[in-house]
Amino acid sequence: MPKIVPDKLEPGMKLLKPVKNRSGMVLLGEGTELTAELIERVRDMDADSISIQGISPPSTPKEEVLSALDRRFKSIEEEPYMGVIKRVLKEHIEGLYG
Amino acid sequence: MGSMDIRDLRARVENINALPTIPGVLKRLLGVIENPGVSLNEISNFISNDPALTTKVLKMVNSPIYGFPGRISSVNQAVILLGLNVVKGLLLGVSVFELMQKTMIGLWEHSLGCAIAARLIAEKKGLKEPEEASIDGLLHDIGKVLLILQFPEEYEEAMRDADIGNLSIYGAERAHFGTTHASVGSWMAQKWRFPQKLVDVIEYHHKPHLSKNAPVESAIVHLADILVRARGFGFAGDHTLMAVNPESWQMLDLSEADLRDILGALEESLEMTEELSL
Repeated sequence: MPKIVPDKLEPGMKLLKPVKNRSGMVLLGEGTELTAELIERVRDMDADSISIQGISPPSTPKEEVLSALDRRFKSIEEEPYMGVIKRVLKEHIEGLYG
Repeated sequence: MGSMDIRDLRARVENINALPTIPGVLKRLLGVIENPGVSLNEISNFISNDPALTTKVLKMVNSPIYGFPGRISSVNQAVILLGLNVVKGLLLGVSVFELMQKTMIGLWEHSLGCAIAARLIAEKKGLKEPEEASIDGLLHDIGKVLLILQFPEEYEEAMRDADIGNLSIYGAERAHFGTTHASVGSWMAQKWRFPQKLVDVIEYHHKPHLSKNAPVESAIVHLADILVRARGFGFAGDHTLMAVNPESWQMLDLSEADLRDILGALEESLEMTEELSL
């Protein structure tokens, strides 16, 4: 999930969604890069959670996701082009875990 | 069930509107979209007269399903921007959302994932109307919902067979019904007067090389289906992955870098759609 509590915000993170005040007015637009000052302003607003780009520490362990991938491809890995698709997908999943 | 006559089956599916389990809004919508002379205005009024539907449509058009998040604030604007066929498809999609969630857990997520992946592939290939690819992806498995609605017990058996025998749901459907969700979906897409391209995509998303009217679009949804399943997102009735059709893969001619881009963008969009509860 890309949402985190305001306490966990750090400078350099980018907003996935705009931050709005209670009347729905946009205070910080989508894509805004957070600075220390902006983070303080956000914390003062006592929002429950903020949506941040790109942070999605996947909740399932990497090994589990990769072995599920192996299982899905088991019987068709040798079919034309499925090896390429699997390899790119595996690299993609590994990339999610940094 | 194996003995059921295919014409009889088709007649029963085509009469889906008479089922007591069909939600009222879907019933009314089908009445509207089956009308050959329906205008953009009528569709727009139909949506606007139903606040719940209006919210759903606006949520969808401002989601990563389409390429323009956060910019469309009125139904009129959405309808003008997207055009009659895309709006019809979108309306059908949001109207079956609850049915999908009730009938097969994970099918809505699978459909959303395919809508996004199909759009991303279409954009990579420079197609002029990537929103149409979104609709193709969103509705490609509509036949599953129709089969489950009309034949809930038989479909459950087909799913159980697929699970136990490690078969595709496509194969299990053929064994149980003598036809598949692909054909059932395409019959109805015809009845609902969707464009021939969408009818083709639904019919041929498992065999895209056979499509005459929409070979590229069918190949796109075929690959989107595979990528979304391969990524492990959603559930579409079975746990098997189909191999990509070599002809279609060659036709799409995506590089490894293209595939990486598509998977990356898909991942981000899927995260955002986690909040897309209609």
